[in-house]
Amino acid sequence: MKIVSRNNSNLSNLDVKIVLIFAIVAFLVIFSVLPMSYLVFRSFIGGAESFGRIYTNTLNWNALKNTLVTASLSMIFGVMIAFPLAWLVGRTDMYGRKFFRTLFVMTYMVPPYVGAMAWLRLLNPRVGTLNVLIANFLGLSENPFNIYSIPGLVFVLTTFYYPYAFITISRSMEKMDPSLEEAAKISGAGTVRTLLKITLPVMLPSIVASGLLVFIAAASCYGIPSIIGAPGQIDTVTTRIIDYVYVGSSEGLSDAAALAVSLMLIANLVLYFSAFVTGDRHYTTISGKSTHPNIVTLGKWNIPVTICVSIFAFIVIILPFLTVAMTSFTKNLGKAFTPENLTLRYWNILFTRKPLLNSLKNSVISASAAATIGVGISCVMAWVANRTRSRFRAVPDFLITLGSGTPSVVIALALIMTMSGRFGLNIYNTLLIMIIAYVIKYLLMGMRTIAAAMSQIDASLEEAALISGASWLKSFVRVTLPLIAPSVVAGWFLIFMPSFYELTMSTLLYSTDTKTIGYELFTYQTYHSQQTASAIATGILIIVILVNYVLSKLSGDKFSI
Amino acid sequence: MRKFMIMVMALMLMFFASEAFAAKPKVVIYTSMYEDVIEAMTQTLQEKFPDYDVEFFYGGTGTLQAKIAAELDAKKLGCDMLMVADPSYSLELKQMGILHAYVSEQAKNLALDYDPEGYWYPVRNLNMVLAFNPENYSRENLPKTFKEFAYNSDLKAAISMPNPLTAGTALVAISALKDKYGYEYFDKLSENRVMVESGSVALTKLETGECKVIMILEESVLKKREEEDSALEVIYPEDGVICVPSPIMTINDKYSAHANSKICEELTDWFLSPEGQSYIVKGWMHSVLKNPPAIPYDSINTAEIFTRAMPVDWVKCLAERTELRTNFEDRVKK
Repeated sequence: MKIVSRNNSNLSNLDVKIVLIFAIVAFLVIFSVLPMSYLVFRSFIGGAESFGRIYTNTLNWNALKNTLVTASLSMIFGVMIAFPLAWLVGRTDMYGRKFFRTLFVMTYMVPPYVGAMAWLRLLNPRVGTLNVLIANFLGLSENPFNIYSIPGLVFVLTTFYYPYAFITISRSMEKMDPSLEEAAKISGAGTVRTLLKITLPVMLPSIVASGLLVFIAAASCYGIPSIIGAPGQIDTVTTRIIDYVYVGSSEGLSDAAALAVSLMLIANLVLYFSAFVTGDRHYTTISGKSTHPNIVTLGKWNIPVTICVSIFAFIVIILPFLTVAMTSFTKNLGKAFTPENLTLRYWNILFTRKPLLNSLKNSVISASAAATIGVGISCVMAWVANRTRSRFRAVPDFLITLGSGTPSVVIALALIMTMSGRFGLNIYNTLLIMIIAYVIKYLLMGMRTIAAAMSQIDASLEEAALISGASWLKSFVRVTLPLIAPSVVAGWFLIFMPSFYELTMSTLLYSTDTKTIGYELFTYQTYHSQQTASAIATGILIIVILVNYVLSKLSGDKFSI
Repeated sequence: MRKFMIMVMALMLMFFASEAFAAKPKVVIYTSMYEDVIEAMTQTLQEKFPDYDVEFFYGGTGTLQAKIAAELDAKKLGCDMLMVADPSYSLELKQMGILHAYVSEQAKNLALDYDPEGYWYPVRNLNMVLAFNPENYSRENLPKTFKEFAYNSDLKAAISMPNPLTAGTALVAISALKDKYGYEYFDKLSENRVMVESGSVALTKLETGECKVIMILEESVLKKREEEDSALEVIYPEDGVICVPSPIMTINDKYSAHANSKICEELTDWFLSPEGQSYIVKGWMHSVLKNPPAIPYDSINTAEIFTRAMPVDWVKCLAERTELRTNFEDRVKK
C-alpha cells in the first residue's frame, strides 16, 4: 500500500514539472512568438517589399551600425565599471559599502528618458551647466563636451544600464564559495592575483550574463537615443523603428516590423555567442557547506579607494538625480536656482491630481504581477536550462530573448493586432495585456539573473532532497529557492522597476481604467512640463528608497535591492 | 500545484471579466488635445449628454495613428470618433472607407474648408510658428520668416523643429515649406544643423538658451505663458503662418468600437457649436468658426492668422507624403 502511494506521488511530481514547463512554453508561444511572427509574416506579404525597402536604405544601415557600436561599448564599459564596484562593495571592507550598494543601483530606478533630460541639461554643447562650469574652471575657450555624439550616447547608456551588470555580478559574488580564494591565498597568491586568477574566472558566467543584459537593454532602449542621439542626427535601430511606426500607416507598421527583425536577430546572436564563450564552463560556487565569503582588508588603500568610488558616485548618480530633483522645484529652467525661482507647484500637482493616485495603483499592480509571473517563469526555465540535458533546453532562452530583444513599441503593436479578438483572444484594453507586455519585454532581466545564480548551485543538493523522498516541487522550493533567494529578489526588482515606469508600451495599450504612471509621465513630458515629469520621477525614487529601506530592515539586510 | 491551478483560474477569470458592464451607450474619442482641455470638456459633456458615456483617449498624433493602424489590421477600432492630425489624414481615412458621413447643421458657420459629403470637419486650428526666449535673445536679431530660420547661418546648431516622421503638423509644415521654397529648404535646414525632436525637449532648450529659435505649435507656447508665466514669445512668420485645421471624424458603425454613430453626430454638432469651440479656445487653439467665440490667451486675432496663412495643398500633402518623408530623411537626417 505504501509503495503504491509513493509511486503515485512520483507520477504526480513528474506531472507538476511537465505541466509547469508546458504552461510556460505555451504562454511564451502564445503571447510572444505568435504575435512577433505575425508581425514579421505581415511584413513579408507583398513580396518582401518591406524588407527590400528597409534594407536598401543606408540610413538604416547606419542606424544598425550605431546600435551595435553603442550597445557593445556600453556593455564593455558597464561590465568594467560593475565588476570592480561589485567586488569592492561585496568583498572588501571599503567604507560605506552598504550605502554604496544601494546607491549604485539607483539609476535603475529613474526612468531613462527623465535621466537623459538631466544629462542633456548638464552636458549640452552650447549651455550645458557642467560644460560651462568646467570650461570656466579650466579657462577653456570652448565647452569641452558634446553629449550629442556617439561617445555621449555611450556615456549616458552606460550610466543607466551598468546597474544590470552590478546587480547580477554582486549577487553571485556574495554567494561565492570562499574556499577557492582561500586556497589561492594559502598557496601564496596576493589579493590582486587571487582576484584575477580565481574570482574573475569563477565569476565569468555571471559576468557574461550581465554583459548580455546591458547589451540588450542598451540596444533596445528608445528613450535615451531619442533624446541624446536625435539632435546630433545619430539614429539607432529603435529610433528608426519608431519613426516607421509613427508614420501611422499599415505600410509603416510592416516597415517597422521588418527593421525590428534585425534587432531580434542581433539579440539572439549575442545570446548564442555568450553561450559559446562560456561553453560548458559551469563553476559550482555553492556546495553543501555554508558560505561566508571572506572580506578583503583594503588597509591603507581604503581611503583612496573610497574617495575614488565617491567621486564616481557623485558624477554618475548624485549629479543627474540632483538635476532631476532640482528641476521639479524650478519655475523657469532658464534661470538660476534662486529662491525667487523656486516653486512647489509641480509637487502640488502630484498630490492633488486624483487620477495620478489611480495610475499609481495600476502601475503597482501591473508591475508586481509582471515581476511575480516573470520571476516564476525564470525560476522554472533557469532550472530547465541548468539541470536538464534535454536537447530543447536552449528553447526557453530563445523564447525569452526574442521578446526582450524586441523594441517595446513593436511588442505593443504586435499584441494589439493579435490580442484584440482576431484569433479568439481578446484582452485589449485590459490591465492583463499590459502585464503580458511587461513580462515579455523584461523577462530576460529576471531570467539571466536567476539562471546565473542557479548555475552556481551544485545539483547534489537537490539530488539529496530527492533521494530523501522530497518531491521535485518540494526540493525546488525547500532547497534551490532559498539558496538563490537573493537573486530571485534581485530578479523581481529588475522586472518590477522598468515595468513600473514603462512608457512606450503603456501609452499604446492603456485604456481609461488602466492608466499607469508611465502614461502620466508621458503626458507630462509631452505636456511641455519637464518639471512635473521630474516631480513624478523624484516621487517614484523616494518611494523606492523607502521600500528598500523597510525591506532591508525587516529582513535583516538579507533582502534589499 | 493547487495554488498554481487557482492562479491559472484567476487569470482566466480576469480574461472574461474584462468585458466591462456597459450601462450607458458609450463613445470613445481618440484625441491629441491636451488632458487639461479634455478634463474641462468632460464635465460639460456629462451635463449636456447625461445619457451617454463619452470617454477620451489621449495620445500624440503619431502614437494614435500607429494604434489605429494596428487596430485596423485586426479589423476593429477601439474608438468611435477621432480628433487627431491634419486634414490629409482624414482624406486618407475617407479613401479607406472607414468614416461615417454626416452633414452637420453647423457647417455653414465654419470659416474653413470641410468635406462636402460630411466625412470630416475642421474642429480646431493649430498653427505652426516660430518661438524664442526674450530673456536670452532679442527679437531684432532673430528670424522673422521661416526662410531665415533655415537660411540664416547665425542660427547654426541653435534651432530645433518637430519630427515630420512622427508629427502630423510637422509634415504639413514641411509640405507647405517645400511648395514655397523647394527641396532646397531641407538642405538649408540640414546645413543649419537643425535638431529634430519633440516639442517639450525643444521648449526646454529655448528656456535654457541652448536654442535661439524653434519651430513649434503656437498652442504649446501660449500654454506655457498662461500656466507658468513663461517669458517665451511667439514669432508669427512674415512668409506665412502654417495653419493646420485639425479635423473631427466619426468612424462608421462597421469599424467603430460601439457603433453609436447617431450619438457621434450629436457630439460633432456640439464640438462645432460656439460652446464647444469655446473649450477649444481655452485650450490655446484657434476656433474654426467665422465668428470665433474668443481668441486664445495672448494670441492674435484668428481672422488675421487665416489671412496670413501659408497655402497648403492637402491633396498633394497626402499624395506626396512618402516622398516628403524620404526627402526629409535623406536631406536632413543624413
